[in-house]
Amino acid sequence: MFAKAIKSAALSAAVAICGALPAQATDLQFYFPVAVGGGAAETIEALTKDYMAQNPGISIDAVYAGSYQDTIAKVITAARGGNAPQLSVALSVDMFTLIDEDLIVPFDDFIKTDEDRAWLASFYPAFMENSQTGGKTYGIPFQRSTPVLYWNKEAFAAAGLDPNTPPATWEEMVEMGKKLVKKDENGNVTQWGVRIPTSGFPYWLFQGLSTQNDVILANSEGNKTNFDDPKVVEALEYLVSLSTEHGVMEPGIVEWGATPKAFFEGQTAMMWTTTGNLTNVRKNAPFDFGVGMLPANKRRGAPTGGGNFYLFKGTSQEQLAAAVDFIKWITEPEQSAKWTMATGYVAPRPATWDTPTMQAYAADFPAVLVARDQLEFAVAELSTYENQRVTRIFNDALAAAITGQKDAATALAEAQAQADAILAAYR
Amino acid sequence: MSGFDKWLGHSAALLLALLWVLPLLFAIWTAIHPVAFEARFQLTAPLTTENFVKAWQAAPFARYFLNSFILVTSILLAQFVLCTLAAYAFARFRFPGRDFLFVLVLMQLLVMPDILIVENYKMIRALGLVDTIAAIALPYVASGFGVFLIRQAFMTVPSELDDAARVEGAGVLQVLWRVYVPLAKPIYLAYGLVSVSHHWNNFLWPLIVTNSEETRPVTVGLSIFASVDSGIEWAVINAATLMTSGPLLVAFLLFQRQFVQSFMRAGIK
Repeated sequence: MFAKAIKSAALSAAVAICGALPAQATDLQFYFPVAVGGGAAETIEALTKDYMAQNPGISIDAVYAGSYQDTIAKVITAARGGNAPQLSVALSVDMFTLIDEDLIVPFDDFIKTDEDRAWLASFYPAFMENSQTGGKTYGIPFQRSTPVLYWNKEAFAAAGLDPNTPPATWEEMVEMGKKLVKKDENGNVTQWGVRIPTSGFPYWLFQGLSTQNDVILANSEGNKTNFDDPKVVEALEYLVSLSTEHGVMEPGIVEWGATPKAFFEGQTAMMWTTTGNLTNVRKNAPFDFGVGMLPANKRRGAPTGGGNFYLFKGTSQEQLAAAVDFIKWITEPEQSAKWTMATGYVAPRPATWDTPTMQAYAADFPAVLVARDQLEFAVAELSTYENQRVTRIFNDALAAAITGQKDAATALAEAQAQADAILAAYR
Repeated sequence: MSGFDKWLGHSAALLLALLWVLPLLFAIWTAIHPVAFEARFQLTAPLTTENFVKAWQAAPFARYFLNSFILVTSILLAQFVLCTLAAYAFARFRFPGRDFLFVLVLMQLLVMPDILIVENYKMIRALGLVDTIAAIALPYVASGFGVFLIRQAFMTVPSELDDAARVEGAGVLQVLWRVYVPLAKPIYLAYGLVSVSHHWNNFLWPLIVTNSEETRPVTVGLSIFASVDSGIEWAVINAATLMTSGPLLVAFLLFQRQFVQSFMRAGIK
């Protein structure tokens, strides 16, 4: 039996090696990550096919590359291995990492005509903050998001609150939260007031709080953080006080993945989460819900998030010019509208919102406009050189304060010292 | 062993088994019920196959299954051939530098495959094999673990058997084929299981080195369900997980007795 097995071993190894298909001959290769459900991959592939049908000279191989983390691993490996794609979507916060690795080229070389300049100027400034540094544009916003507040109108009515008015300030969120908390006869909470997920990447939603407290976490050169600023400390103390002092949020680390479910099941009356959840909530919430801007303190504020297009080194100028042409096409209002409706991402150009398709969509579902209107107050997502290490340090500090291991001031001062040690090399 | 001891041992074993099987039971529960019953365990909950249909349609799974199957069988067979020959040399031949070379082979066990990804990619690209199934398989076919395991098995074969075969006129390879390989059968079975399950589950390297539907394995198909930004649909992701791990589970249940015996003999636990 083993004789046969080994003979067929050699044979099928040979078959596998010879029979494997050669890489497709393409002009452009395009890596994209998927971070939302609902057929995002098919939408990108369909848009790419449309483009190729209109531009027979160019063929684009759209390659699904996993999550954002997988995509950055794949693109860096391929680029170091001398096989970089011409273009890829990756997190906007990876810009400094990609510059540091010397893998990307700025778009400026391909912006020649007035029309090109007008295109570059046509994106929301909040999204461009994460896409430009040192006077150059390295990223074009594509799948971008921002966190918003979702609230359960039925729970608001049951608690004697106006179901159409979400909290507008930090104080109101605490007050309303206290009214919304429900307990069973044993004193166990069955419905919390609010839920701000803090697992995995707590810095993102925390950046909503810090921005509302009128402080930015990192400079636009990506080489200096403000973690120990008294206003940052105050924002963290507020977040911690929601569970410790006011008892309106579940104590400890709050899971991201379970948050929409907890909202649907009525375990929380309000939640902060990304606009990427809009379609999911609309489909699955068994009650009437509202979507509002995050509450304000010293000012309104929210971070942006999500992915940008990048251009990679290592291929000809003609190929890169074709890639830029494709990016221009896919960010045009009509294509962008299709993408926004399929995924829930915020369309990155005001022009998209003026198309008849988007206007009809917004008239039917006005909640999509909240994220757009909030962009006026939004700031760049925390991004620095050595981004993964710096955000890890910051996340650990936040987690230490949330779980009560350290007080906010100590945790943040330590994080600032560690971040300084890393970023000093880039000043 | 007293009755009480036995009872204690059995209940501890049952408890561990229950803990082990719970995630699997939860996966089955969510996969065969509508989304609304994800966390509500009622015996009367309606059954559905919708989650499986949804999962199957979300990616070209038929092709991915074929790719995974070709991948694991070709890796396994190539590993058997290479590791058997190398193990035979290390176990039964004397040549200069043998021990040093064997230490080099063992060094492979100390290196995490992930840190070699860029070097492996450069090599695969130099060979012109990017985006092929061979590219996924090649870095793994010369397995240090396999050489070590099979060498240890060959070392335990009594030299009298070897001598007897030679007296009968068997050549070097015939001895390997007729004496050593049959005696090490349980080791092959155990090693095969470890290899197949590892490569069936491997994700990062295949994702990085392949680009097209024709070459990607099931794990890459599975990853499109990890939609963290929009909340995770446990029902569909669990249906997809059961579907992709199904063939291995079924194979394990079918050959369970042989596997357990092989593992006991091979000493991999």
